Amino acid sequence: MKRGHVYTLFFMTILTAVLVFALAAAYEAFKPSITTNKLLQEQRAVLYALGIDDDLSDEEVRTRYAESVQPGAVGGITEAYGQPVLAHMEGGNAIAYAVPFEGSGLWGSLRGYLGITADLTETRGLVFTYQNETPGLGGRIDESWFKEQFRNLPIAAGVELAYGANPEYKIDAVTGATQTSSAVMRTINKSLSEIVFPKEVK
Amino acid sequence: MVNEKTSAIIKRNLLSENQVLRAILGICSSLAVTNTMRNSLVMGLGVAFVTGLSSLTLSAMRNIIPHRVRMLVQTLVIAAYVIFVDLFLQAFLPDISKQLGPYVGLIITNCIIMGRAEAYAQQNPPLPAALDGLFAGLGYTMVLLGISFIREVLGFGTLFGMNVNFIRFETWTIMIMPPAAFFIIGGMIWFMSARAAGKAAKAK
Repeated sequence: MKRGHVYTLFFMTILTAVLVFALAAAYEAFKPSITTNKLLQEQRAVLYALGIDDDLSDEEVRTRYAESVQPGAVGGITEAYGQPVLAHMEGGNAIAYAVPFEGSGLWGSLRGYLGITADLTETRGLVFTYQNETPGLGGRIDESWFKEQFRNLPIAAGVELAYGANPEYKIDAVTGATQTSSAVMRTINKSLSEIVFPKEVK
Repeated sequence: MVNEKTSAIIKRNLLSENQVLRAILGICSSLAVTNTMRNSLVMGLGVAFVTGLSSLTLSAMRNIIPHRVRMLVQTLVIAAYVIFVDLFLQAFLPDISKQLGPYVGLIITNCIIMGRAEAYAQQNPPLPAALDGLFAGLGYTMVLLGISFIREVLGFGTLFGMNVNFIRFETWTIMIMPPAAFFIIGGMIWFMSARAAGKAAKAK
């Protein structure tokens, strides 16, 4: 059957409209549960970075987050990369902070939180809330063996964290994902130097 | 091509014309996601689901799709299903969605889906096309599981995350990395080609 350009154009327009409409409808229908899930994941991530997630159920995550996490400030900075700095409160005092970080990985952005103690001497933990690295390679930064390496590392002004065997700690990069591993380290160090230990303005 | 038996469609897609091992399609994801069996299983099922539904849809529309833009239409339909799967996982299976993350989007680029749309759904009625797509995807799943079985056992000493390393052998780091899949797939393709060649020789 012979068909002209007009038919082709008409067909594509209708098809696109139908599919877009169907997807938009699906998104609207799923939106409430997607939003709830995202919020929960974010809260769980913050608890993980602060080292207090302890395999909690969804409900326990909500409760613990409400009980012990509040907006906080590190050296007067309350917000970074559009995310609030969060504080782990215990008995009315902040004992640790979750500092947001953001940077570019190999394929896309890296976003997450770095947990640090309130006296700014040690890390509490590292968590990613968004990463788009190669599955099975760079994507393995989201596996617990990698993230767990970032617990209780010494931090100080002007000192960068690094892979390999360091005097006080040892961090392994992801094999086969050098670019992503370096990007993670760069991003964390940037967050440390810009937010946690900003250079004094003279 | 018309009136192919259901059993023939199934057998063809799982074995004699397995998309990964005989048509050498979907190799990229076979290398990347096969380091653990769980990733392989979910990726495989995702592909099977999308291939089945997109073949069904495209076959149902096969007489009204303008021939010149058929590939555009295929991509559009496939992308719509993949986005739907992604939304569905985000809404109802957030844990799996998080673990898979970018894998889901990668389904769009899986050549098997478009391959089946081009090679089969275009010329066949919706029901056989859906079956063909579904089993092409399951054939892919099967191969992925085979590869990841070898890789996960030797590389991590686990199966679906459960420890099976009873004799405490030293795990093979290379099995975790993509080159391992490269060798294993190579071996499987060799085996399947030899089998096909043997059959062809017998037929003569």
